[in-house]
Amino acid sequence: MSKAALRQATREALANTNVCSALGKFADNYVIAREQAYRHKDFEGLRREVARIKREAAERMEELAAQFTREATRRGATVFRAATAQDAREYIARLARSRGIKTIVKSKSMASEEIHLNKYLKEQGLDAVETDLGEWIIQLACQRPSHMVMPAIHMSRNEVAEIFSREIKKPVEPEISSMVQLARRELRRKFLSSWMGISGANIAVAETGTIVMVTNEGNGRLTTTLPPVHVIIVGLEKLVPCFTDIAPILEVLPRSATAQHITTYVTMITGTVPAVDPDGNYHEKKELHIILLDNGRTRMAADPVFKEALQCVRCAACLNVCPIYQLVGGVFGDVYTGGIGTVLTAFFTDPQKAQQVQNLCLGCGRCRDYCSGNIDLPALISELRRRTVEREGLGYVEKVIFERVLVNRRLFHRLLKTASRLQKPFARGGKIRHLPLFLSGLTEGRTLPAIADIPFRDRVGTLPRPDRATGRVAIFSGCLIDFVYPGIGESVAKVLAALGFEIVHPEQQTCCGYPAKQAGLTNIFAELARQNIAAFAGIDAGHILTACPTCAEALKFLYPELLAGDPVWSKRARALAEKVTDFSSFVFAHREKLVTFMIPLKKKVTYHDSCHLKRRLRVTGEPRQLLIDAGAELVEMTPADLCCGFGGSYSIKFPELSRSVLDRKLQAVLGSGAEVVALDCPGCQMQIGGGMDRQNPRVQVMHTAEILARCLAGTGRVQNG
Amino acid sequence: MALNKAVLPDANRNLEQLYEEFVTRARALGTEVYRVPNLAKARELVGKLVQEMGVRKVALSESPLVTALDLAAAVAGAGAEVTGGNPRERAEAADLGISSFEMAIAETGTLVQDATEINRRLVSMLPPAHLALVSTNRLVGTLQEAINNLAARGQIPGYLAFVSGPSRTADIERVLTIGVHGPGKVVVIFIDEGGDAGE
Ligand code: SF4
Ligand code: SF4
Repeated sequence: MSKAALRQATREALANTNVCSALGKFADNYVIAREQAYRHKDFEGLRREVARIKREAAERMEELAAQFTREATRRGATVFRAATAQDAREYIARLARSRGIKTIVKSKSMASEEIHLNKYLKEQGLDAVETDLGEWIIQLACQRPSHMVMPAIHMSRNEVAEIFSREIKKPVEPEISSMVQLARRELRRKFLSSWMGISGANIAVAETGTIVMVTNEGNGRLTTTLPPVHVIIVGLEKLVPCFTDIAPILEVLPRSATAQHITTYVTMITGTVPAVDPDGNYHEKKELHIILLDNGRTRMAADPVFKEALQCVRCAACLNVCPIYQLVGGVFGDVYTGGIGTVLTAFFTDPQKAQQVQNLCLGCGRCRDYCSGNIDLPALISELRRRTVEREGLGYVEKVIFERVLVNRRLFHRLLKTASRLQKPFARGGKIRHLPLFLSGLTEGRTLPAIADIPFRDRVGTLPRPDRATGRVAIFSGCLIDFVYPGIGESVAKVLAALGFEIVHPEQQTCCGYPAKQAGLTNIFAELARQNIAAFAGIDAGHILTACPTCAEALKFLYPELLAGDPVWSKRARALAEKVTDFSSFVFAHREKLVTFMIPLKKKVTYHDSCHLKRRLRVTGEPRQLLIDAGAELVEMTPADLCCGFGGSYSIKFPELSRSVLDRKLQAVLGSGAEVVALDCPGCQMQIGGGMDRQNPRVQVMHTAEILARCLAGTGRVQNG
Repeated sequence: MALNKAVLPDANRNLEQLYEEFVTRARALGTEVYRVPNLAKARELVGKLVQEMGVRKVALSESPLVTALDLAAAVAGAGAEVTGGNPRERAEAADLGISSFEMAIAETGTLVQDATEINRRLVSMLPPAHLALVSTNRLVGTLQEAINNLAARGQIPGYLAFVSGPSRTADIERVLTIGVHGPGKVVVIFIDEGGDAGE
């Protein structure tokens, strides 16, 4: 899949309002329903336990596979180890042929999708019918599932009625309950006449040879009960050591998948059991074949980074909360979709496609908070990107930007100043409304802020100072504040002055390097990290403060990780990290001093949680309390923590997607009825500010620092706003 | 087999509490729940339910509890017939299946059955309605307890069925619809004094 083809596919998905609205509606309800399903449950504890079980199982994959094989065989099953998708497909077709079987019923199995089993069986002249309602619809429509748990979520009842009409060659009314009954009747005939059933598995227990399946419709139970031959396809990552390991997985899987406490049916199969075949003959022991599928899993288990993905229980929570998946559905992935789908695609189904699809991730980190297997998905996707770049190199333009410009601070800053002059014809009132030609997608539906005439670094001399300094704070401004929003920097200085802090701004500081990390350029990221660490090394200040949460994340968490292996720099990175704090947390810690100075704001304010601030720095209450202190009437929007769609270079690579994510955010803001959107991130400010400018310019978009500074009017030398 | 961590049902949680919890959860899922003091009352209730549901054909799966209740007679007494033929035909022809379960989980409103025997599976899956019988003293608090119980028994049964309410789907437009492939109606009768038959 090419870059252009992917972008085209996302455009088409965005144009399909059906997909967007079904997924979006589901997503909003999902978060609330899931919350209820986890009431009285310790999700963090549970997922840590699940992660531990699965991590240890992945480390012992081979041993557990052998144990499982022994135990299941002892109970009468035939276990086949399939190294590849082809091995698995052939085994099943051979089995069917040797038993003279023509008709097969299937209950839902992602592993069978992964090996493209249906297509293969059809080519072999076998008739395999999907019996999960959603899967059946998809099969009749000749499509592939767009969601791991809800395969046909992208279809409307009218589409389903059309598909059913074609199948039974009679008009079908688009009425859901009667269509469900139709499916029951049609598929019941198939169940009763089939000689082979194929199912997937959710858990495989090594010590007992047990297979666990969770379903709601009951087709899984019929598939595993009626036909006298049963084939189970199970990925090696489903293995767990003990029978009791089932419990924590069963606690999280339905809750995270569909916000159910438990699915209607949980079926545990251990070895062969009796059956009665379609001719009415009783079999004391039916045939049970279990295919243990590798297809990239041992390679994944051997990978020091990606073995983490084997902790996945396929609950699809990461899809449900993903702002991109909510918009484009199955386009974000291949057989497996969403964030986890991207990683699985790279290892199991289509590495080429994964190289493009990985770019669809915004890096917002929302999936990480919801993952039942405690997987850091954005980190894995970022690692995919890094490896791709390492292997394939960069495009020419990116190469120049990152390798020549970004690492050379003087050149970088000189270019920004030149750009500030060159943009003049397009900028009016500090905003860019039209960009020439190919960049026009960027300004469509929003305005972009112009690069400031005088960057923050050149305003340091005129910043407000406290009458009597009680401490010193070093400022890490970050590119956006330095060159686009110096006003935020001035507000920060003003608030700090009111708190009695004097500020220093080390001249040698440069871009935090996050964009280089995002582009998969670890070396350049490390180079910039070292430059910044050096810039702050000799500075005499108790704290390093930044009003950009992305920079804060880089300085505080990513630098120490990045340089961990370096004997000299790792220590310096940690020393720097210890001092770093975000603006709101710092001010919150000293807020008693501030309150006395403030003139109440008396406005309705809603707060946007920036991804990096909420999900990395875990800061949500502090800025809200500061706003309340400043006399704001705080009104929450729902959801407050959905990404604004900025994602750095994302808004350049996928402008339509970025804008659609933004639109959902703007709707949330407008729905709250607020007059001001407060936020703590200049990136979000650029995105939301630009969108609001077009939608409703009366709603102001301000950094918390700007709001606080405004409430301090008259106490400093610089006026903002 | 290294099945360890045997856990007995938490003695501190009294049966009444467990039952209340089960009722709340199960009803939320759409299960009908009844409770009777003894076998005689259970038998009476089965007859009454068969009548009320307007059931004509009933499939039974043998178990000590079903035998102790002499359900064949109870069904006939209620004006319905017990289906015949091979096990598939018996189940497929019935409007109602009746079988007994070994355990109930309060926290999730779940019934647990050793469904290794083929009749039990057919009877509890093919007819559009199912009536489940279970001894009240087989209630456990949590899913975790149920799994630990099973693990502690040693050999895991060939086919274990956990059933929580009627068969459901939300595959078309996320609209919840009851009764896809399995029973659309699930009724459970808890029997306080089922004697050994309940085990
Ligand atoms: S980080 Fe955000 S955009 Fe990326 S997969 Fe996770 S939720 Fe989706
Ligand atoms: S990655 Fe996590 S959230 Fe996504 S399906 Fe797997 S376990 Fe669920």
